[in-house]
Amino acid sequence: MIVGGAMVVAWLLIALLAPVVAPYDPIKVTVGDALRSPSLAHLLGTDDLGRDVLSRVIWGSRISLSVGLISVGIGFFVGVSVGLAAGYLGGKFDLFVMRGVDALLAFPALVLAIAITAALGPQIQNAMIAIGIVAIPAYARLTRGQTLAIRSRDFILAARTVGCTPLRIVTRHVFPNITNALIVQATLSTAFAILAEAALSFLGLGPQPPDPSWGQDVAYSTRYLANMKWWMSVGPGLAIFSAVFAFNFLGDALRDALDPRLRRSG
Amino acid sequence: MIRYILRRLVLMVPVAFLVTIGVFVLVRISPGDPALTFAGEERDPAAIAAIREEMGLNQPVPVQYVVWLAHVAQGDLGRSFQTHQRVLEAVTERLPATLELGLAALFFSVTVALVVGILSAVKRNSIVDLLSTSITLAGVSFPSFFLGIVLILLFAYVIPGHIFPPGGYVPLAQDVGDNLRRLVLPAITLATASLAVNLRQVRSSLLDVFGLDYMRTARGKGLHERTVITRHALKNALIPVVTLIGIQVGAIIEGAFITEQIFFWPGIGRLAVQAIPSGDYPVVQGVVLVSAFSYMFTTLVVDVLYAWFDPRISYGTASA
Repeated sequence: MIVGGAMVVAWLLIALLAPVVAPYDPIKVTVGDALRSPSLAHLLGTDDLGRDVLSRVIWGSRISLSVGLISVGIGFFVGVSVGLAAGYLGGKFDLFVMRGVDALLAFPALVLAIAITAALGPQIQNAMIAIGIVAIPAYARLTRGQTLAIRSRDFILAARTVGCTPLRIVTRHVFPNITNALIVQATLSTAFAILAEAALSFLGLGPQPPDPSWGQDVAYSTRYLANMKWWMSVGPGLAIFSAVFAFNFLGDALRDALDPRLRRSG
Repeated sequence: MIRYILRRLVLMVPVAFLVTIGVFVLVRISPGDPALTFAGEERDPAAIAAIREEMGLNQPVPVQYVVWLAHVAQGDLGRSFQTHQRVLEAVTERLPATLELGLAALFFSVTVALVVGILSAVKRNSIVDLLSTSITLAGVSFPSFFLGIVLILLFAYVIPGHIFPPGGYVPLAQDVGDNLRRLVLPAITLATASLAVNLRQVRSSLLDVFGLDYMRTARGKGLHERTVITRHALKNALIPVVTLIGIQVGAIIEGAFITEQIFFWPGIGRLAVQAIPSGDYPVVQGVVLVSAFSYMFTTLVVDVLYAWFDPRISYGTASA
């Protein structure tokens, strides 16, 4: 957990301190420095417009992490609200809402994200909304399941007996009891969100040039593969990998620590 | 069992309706006037009005949905704004390439996961186990498009002999050797993420089974270790893997959107991705609809298979 946590904190710090830690301006074109291989002056080399790859990776972390965190926020808020309401209220509301969630699950996640972003227009905000919507079903199902398990427990019955409103019961009594599972889900879905944002950007559906974005920079680098300008792909590619890895690693560790029932053997 | 299948089919109906509504709404909220896009260079207002009339865009939106759904039910997914080709025709033309890539990826992912997963569970904490755990951790986090690029760099450019081409597609009927040579890198790229998940599942479900009483009994009565593993452990441990294969069909469909783009593989994913910038929504809509329905269908088949394999599942009360 320490390794995953440290990597996550490191990426968050890099994103926050991008203006300080980035050695160059990520969008400044310096034609004279074009396509330089990695050196002391440019640790990850430069692209065809002479822009420093390391600086673009550092600034790109802002976009990736903010899309990751905001879209997970959207998925979390909507999914948990829906799950709490469906699980607690039950009946027709549950049946109706969960069919909607099933419909979202009927799409392969990334295909849905691509379709939504394509419909709304290729912009970073739309990528966030799309990934957020895709994240809803996992939270809704998890929350509903946990709420159903808790709904019939004695302390909920006690709360109902003393006259608590349903809203108070779900927010004050149900929600605090399901946070562990939700924290694990949130960490793992941040990893998915970063990967999905990178994929959308790779397909040209994320932030638009010249803004630095990992997925878009990897896509851009493909035109120089045959010329062996490998450093243009490696910097942003490894950045995506390490950020996703960090959240996955942390999520797995949190799962083992917070929820012994989910602990995997081996 | 038949009741269970029927129940699942009935539950699928409202979901399928919601899916069609979702896909329809996505296209309706898209920016731009479909009639103008379809008209292309044509700017005569009368001609555009005629196109709008022909496309039914003057009708109220619910009516447009019903008309569209009726067409979809008859296999008419509309026409591409750009090429004016029938969308269903465009999709079916490219489906064999996507299916070939998907099946190759599935085969690769399942075979490697089984072999490495069994080895790593049997020889726990060995080098193979360590390697498999590392692949699992890295595989789920490695972006497929970056893996594709690394593979292209290595096998098409860096390693002498240019073992595999960097992309492109040759139909199987035209040249089997060239087709397979071009299939290797995209199939590995597409398979890696699901391979990681599979590997983890095979290993952990085998380890779960190893601790059970009947395994001790099998060993206790003097069976050969190989028989214990293949006859007793694998049979039970593989049940969850069946479900996983279903989930991977989804992963493989979505992966195809990316992988086909990197390797210039002319499948339905690339068809959709290329239609996006030009606002060719009927094509995007058609591919998304076909993907969603194939995914729903495979999930259903897998759930039924799972129930069939595992007698502990009660069909009557099995949840949706």
